[in-house]
Amino acid sequence: MKAILTDVTKCIGCERCVQSCRIANDLGTVLPFRWLLDDGLSAVRWCSVLRKDGKFVRKQCMHCVQPACVGICPVGALQKTAEGPVIYDSGKCLGCRYCMMSCPFGIPRYDWESAVPFVRKCQMCYQGRVSKGVQPGCTAGCPVQATIFGERDLLLAEAKKRIADNPDRYLPTVFGESEVGGTCVLYLAPMQLDILTLGNKLDERPMPSRTATAMSAVPPVFVGMGAVMTGIYWIIERRMRLERDKAAANGTPPKAGHAPSGHGHNSSDGKEG
Amino acid sequence: MKMKRLKAVKSALWLLVGAAFAIAVFRFWRGLGPTTALTDLTPWGFWIGFDVMGGVALAAGGFCIAATVYVFHLERYRPILRPAVLTAFLGYAAVVVGLMFDLGLPWSIWHMVVFWNPRSPLFEVGWCVMLYLSVLLMEFLPVVLEMSKHPILSRIYELLHKFTVPLVILGIMLSTLHQSSLGSLFLIMPHRLDPLWYTPILPILFFISAVALGLMMVTTESLFSSWLYEEEYELDLLQGLGKVAAGVLWFYLAVRLSDLAYRGNLAHALDGGFGPTLFIFEILVSVIVPATLLTIPATRKKMTTLATAAGFTVFGFVFHRINVGGLAMIETTGTRYSPSWTELTVSFGIVALAALVFFWVAERFHLMHGGPMMKGRENLPDIATFRPRLIRGAVMFVTGAAVATALLPASALDGWAVVPQHVHRPGYGDIMILDGNRNDKGVKFDHKMHIDVAEGNDKCAFCHHMVKPGARATGCSECHKDEHLATSIFDHRLHQELLAQGTGCLTCHADTTKPKDLEHSRPCLDCHESMIPAGAAFKPRESPNIGLAPGYMDAMHGLCERCHREQDGGSSTDAPTLARCSTCHSGVVKPFNPLHPDQRLPQPANAEDKAE
Repeated sequence: MKAILTDVTKCIGCERCVQSCRIANDLGTVLPFRWLLDDGLSAVRWCSVLRKDGKFVRKQCMHCVQPACVGICPVGALQKTAEGPVIYDSGKCLGCRYCMMSCPFGIPRYDWESAVPFVRKCQMCYQGRVSKGVQPGCTAGCPVQATIFGERDLLLAEAKKRIADNPDRYLPTVFGESEVGGTCVLYLAPMQLDILTLGNKLDERPMPSRTATAMSAVPPVFVGMGAVMTGIYWIIERRMRLERDKAAANGTPPKAGHAPSGHGHNSSDGKEG
Repeated sequence: MKMKRLKAVKSALWLLVGAAFAIAVFRFWRGLGPTTALTDLTPWGFWIGFDVMGGVALAAGGFCIAATVYVFHLERYRPILRPAVLTAFLGYAAVVVGLMFDLGLPWSIWHMVVFWNPRSPLFEVGWCVMLYLSVLLMEFLPVVLEMSKHPILSRIYELLHKFTVPLVILGIMLSTLHQSSLGSLFLIMPHRLDPLWYTPILPILFFISAVALGLMMVTTESLFSSWLYEEEYELDLLQGLGKVAAGVLWFYLAVRLSDLAYRGNLAHALDGGFGPTLFIFEILVSVIVPATLLTIPATRKKMTTLATAAGFTVFGFVFHRINVGGLAMIETTGTRYSPSWTELTVSFGIVALAALVFFWVAERFHLMHGGPMMKGRENLPDIATFRPRLIRGAVMFVTGAAVATALLPASALDGWAVVPQHVHRPGYGDIMILDGNRNDKGVKFDHKMHIDVAEGNDKCAFCHHMVKPGARATGCSECHKDEHLATSIFDHRLHQELLAQGTGCLTCHADTTKPKDLEHSRPCLDCHESMIPAGAAFKPRESPNIGLAPGYMDAMHGLCERCHREQDGGSSTDAPTLARCSTCHSGVVKPFNPLHPDQRLPQPANAEDKAE
């Protein structure tokens, strides 16, 4: 699985990655719309450089190993490729924006100004480059190799080597190794990278597993509910029928308040009303 | 005059429908951005929180009463069965309509049938809506068909009637899934949802609350229609529902609180602050007040208190759905979303339309209170009685549409149209007067200098791009926005190129074990000491690293002006032109008017002035 490793301590904040991304994906330029966030990402800007504590942190899609968006897209418009990138098929999308709600990093963005809007996000240059064995625009454009592309295992090893070589320079963990079950975009940083996540703190549990339990209960609940309801109906129906038969045998009218049958058209419907 | 209440209510509803219709036109024409308050941070808003989440919850009465009558054989509840099923049908229809507004590509909704992702809770919700809407239609259709004498329609009626019980049970099965799956939707959002609402048992809580809400919705509906059509209140029946609802409500409270306690979040409810306040309010309104009123027999059997309890439950649980759907995410995500009036109007317009359909059915068919509410209307409409009603409805509809259109923001009406930038060429050199920020303040602009300064293949597009709605070119402030800030003047690339030979990087980044940042690099003054002339008025701070120059505004309002004055011996009257405030702030130079660009310059006194 391919991945990207970004070393925050190496980044000089030149935003060449942003420019390369714009050229590689043929994106436009952004105006400060009301619906954009401060992080600079938008439908036409899939990579941006955040500033924190005098350091530069590049933000892009994390390409989770088990992505929330892929798990919950009702039509499977988002897919995790074997190579690693999480890609989007606008031909399947119906615009529910569930992916935007589910992403723990707040990555997917929307064409709000368009009457025919699509979801937009970094796809690790899958179509034009990675699927052809070429590295993505952002890593190719970086002048100082602060962000590099490669096999996830190798990059993880490289990250750990850098930590071992310079323990004072980095936090001892690689961001993305185990967050939400691991991501294909890894970070080495001297500080916590909370600015990359959205909302409450995340743990290591993969996001799709959170809905999986509930979804696996769907078939048994469906069948169980049907069985219980049919059972109750049948028992009460039978008891009432027996009562009716007994009453008919004794020659007395059935108990008040109990209608003859659920099947038959009931006179209290007021058809003659 | 009879039916005065009805006329007033219907007129108000038509007004809302008209307003919603007008907004709908612009929503589909101009897109979601210009017509809603939705943002990238809050992509789901009121249409999901209220229309979809609330609509489904309000429709829960359908399966509750159908189960009561058909499965549990409690025949005395049959009189409220039909309105409950109709409400459920209309509720689900409203959900679908609301969803059509919210979906970015509503015409692609059929993709759900073709492209499957059974792992997705939304996939399940979608399928349940489709199937349950069909089941509800089949459950309700006999009410309409029984009035018909046509042989084919009668045949369909009999067929549907035969399958009533299987249909009802299928409806219960689908409802169970669907009500709970709406909760499952939010299991993927632990990062967004406040821990007072987020729990793995969210689907279970949704189902239990749907039962209580369904019963109370049926109660509300029965009481309201009795009031509207001036009929007897069905208190005897309704208090029985109230009794069951009370039990369900207390059970819900017990499950919810013990779950919070189990996960160690119960104390968080008493923290104060936005989330906990919202939580306590929700619990009070949705459970504690109504459940108390419904538990005490005296208040349960009285119209006013029963209506209060029903209203509280309905409001409280719709509020719960809205909380889960967005309000309880405000603090965690820091969103500033609040629904725009356009979103609210569309939502209430859909509800209004559903209510009008309900009245229409109630007035013509055997829906409730033992027959059509309007005698004689089951026949073909008589044009004489029909016309005034039609005119009244149409007038209200058009008024609503007109008012809504008048109030719509310009962006929604025009879309993000390209607005030309006003440029005026004074007639000399490559200088133009340009209102770059479109604030009626023109500045002199050196085009050639900007071409020279800009770099790259797309340098023209940097200002003259056409991709930004509402603009033909980048505003001046896009680049010059930091002029009031101290500016980083360090050019890394320039240094890189100048020092590229040999161990260029090491010139500044001498210690390779340290991060390559400002803090750990060689101080600028080591090399650039000579750049500060002896006796300079402005002395850089004694910091080892100078990266910052004073911003433009600082320069104009302090540093430069002071220097210019000093040069001139402190006399402001003899100061060079640049040091005179009046050169810029005189009031002689008028604001830029694009229609009369020449007026910006001081006008020569004209003939009339001379005559005076």
